[in-house]
Amino acid sequence: MLAVLKRELKAYFLSPVGYIFMGFFLVISGLFFALLNLLPGSANYIGVLANITFIFLFVVPILTMRLMSEDQRLKTDQLLLTSPLSITGLVLGKYLAAVGVFFLTLVITGLYPLVIKIHGLLAVGEVIGGYIGFLLLGSVFIAIGLFISATTENQVAAAFTTFGCLLLIWFLNWVQQIVPKEAIAGAVFTALLILGVMALVYKAIRNWLVCLIPAVLGVGAVVATYILRQEVFYGLIPAFFARFSLLQRFNSFAMGIFDLSAVIYYLSFSAFFIFLTVRLIEKKRWG
Amino acid sequence: MIQIKDLTKRYGQHLAVDHLNFSVDKGEILGFLGPNGAGKSTTMNIITGYLSATEGSVTIDGLDLIDHPMEVKRKIGYLPEFPPLYPEMTVSEYLNFVAEIKKVTPAEKKESLEKIMDLVKIGDVRGRLIKNLSKGYKQRVGLAQALVGNPTILILDEPTVGLDPRQIMEMRTLIKELGKEHTVVLSSHILPEVSAVCERVIIINKGKIVASDSPENLSKRLTGGSHLLLRVAGPETEVVSKLTKVAGVSSVRVKGEREPGTVDVVVEADAEEDIRRSLFFALSEAQLPILLMKAEDLTLEEIFLQLITEEEVAS
Repeated sequence: MLAVLKRELKAYFLSPVGYIFMGFFLVISGLFFALLNLLPGSANYIGVLANITFIFLFVVPILTMRLMSEDQRLKTDQLLLTSPLSITGLVLGKYLAAVGVFFLTLVITGLYPLVIKIHGLLAVGEVIGGYIGFLLLGSVFIAIGLFISATTENQVAAAFTTFGCLLLIWFLNWVQQIVPKEAIAGAVFTALLILGVMALVYKAIRNWLVCLIPAVLGVGAVVATYILRQEVFYGLIPAFFARFSLLQRFNSFAMGIFDLSAVIYYLSFSAFFIFLTVRLIEKKRWG
Repeated sequence: MIQIKDLTKRYGQHLAVDHLNFSVDKGEILGFLGPNGAGKSTTMNIITGYLSATEGSVTIDGLDLIDHPMEVKRKIGYLPEFPPLYPEMTVSEYLNFVAEIKKVTPAEKKESLEKIMDLVKIGDVRGRLIKNLSKGYKQRVGLAQALVGNPTILILDEPTVGLDPRQIMEMRTLIKELGKEHTVVLSSHILPEVSAVCERVIIINKGKIVASDSPENLSKRLTGGSHLLLRVAGPETEVVSKLTKVAGVSSVRVKGEREPGTVDVVVEADAEEDIRRSLFFALSEAQLPILLMKAEDLTLEEIFLQLITEEEVAS
């Protein structure tokens, strides 16, 4: 894993990718620092972090597009997968390299709060908490990009798909405000979700009976619950989307709250996508 | 050393490898021969653990590939059809990386890399970026990569493809050299190459083994009895009539006139009988000098075509 991590870190700076990422990130964050802190003379640095989360939409695809896809294009995956190196080690090495470059960039932006510290009052604890949240949020996006990069050998396709997915996550914030809150909508949504999951299971195992029974039972349970206790479904759709709204969790960090559940939420989200990437590579061997 | 049992690989409906069975002994150089798309690369990819088989097993040194992937992968060095190189790295950076992922201890790394670079003669380009190297050098760096970690088995997929004739000669010599210390499996669709390097040949077509033997035996087996090519100075009719009278000759076929005033004939003998002496005396008695006499073995190209056609006729 260490060897892969080292090579990937080096690769970022042997190609323009690392510099483009860092440059873009530092220009945008510097701009916001100047606009929100320096010019108005404000010491609220955490506001800058909260304001620049949109930056991930543009920089994460740059960082992750070549991670897994390049090895498929160069056929170097034949070297990596035939060497005594575990797939988990390989994926983790690549992931940590991308997170490492991101972390390095964040360390440089640490100069901004330092400037505030010298010339004014800085809420140190709040800023550190904010940085941890920011790093975790970025790591989740990188994990998503890593997974998408493993699905294709075309870097451009990987970059655009990652951008699209992050944009979708971005929109979830607003989507949850406009989706219907009514109980009947919640019930229909739950029933569709059950049917959708069972359809996926059917596609995988091709067994009618095993899929049909839980589907019928599930939908029946939804109908029964709706008749008996309608209020369960009230506001269910917004709540569901809120679960997947990565950005919303960052708000507590931005408000200066160190939310342990959010930390675990982010870590498990990253772990899930790393796991998916490992499985995807393993599956390719059987294809 | 390598044992392949009922190896099958299916891509959807397409059967790429169809119940292959063979084994490779320690120290052997085995040639894997077949047209493009015969399943050579797929088989090699399975043996090295890059792909998984649909059915069947691969056992290396008594260890099953599925149960002990890490131990098995340490024993194998693999040069795929396209050398797996990182273009933005220098040769020595790249080989150091390979040594690290192959878990070569830092203590022996430096020395073993020097030895490998010497052996494949890439010492003079160690500081250059791989993307700037010629195809021949890239191929050699690919071979160097396979040698890192001192594997007992080398799997080389079309190692001479894309090289110029001189580089091909060098690569063959190198492979022969490596064959002294390693078990080598190499694939090719260039037939003379395999006969130049390998002790045993497996011919594969459409995922199935068509034949497996030494290059010489394959040639003998297919020609039936022994064939002799003769070039005799003299008129054609006289030569043929004299030859047919020699005891043990079953057929005489005229190949035409290659040199002015001579005739080329192929003489087939019954079974295993050696008729060279009687041919010589019969023709010298008739004052017909023999200018050339040699056993006519089929070339691997001919064997190959013959096997493939036999196969098609049978099915």
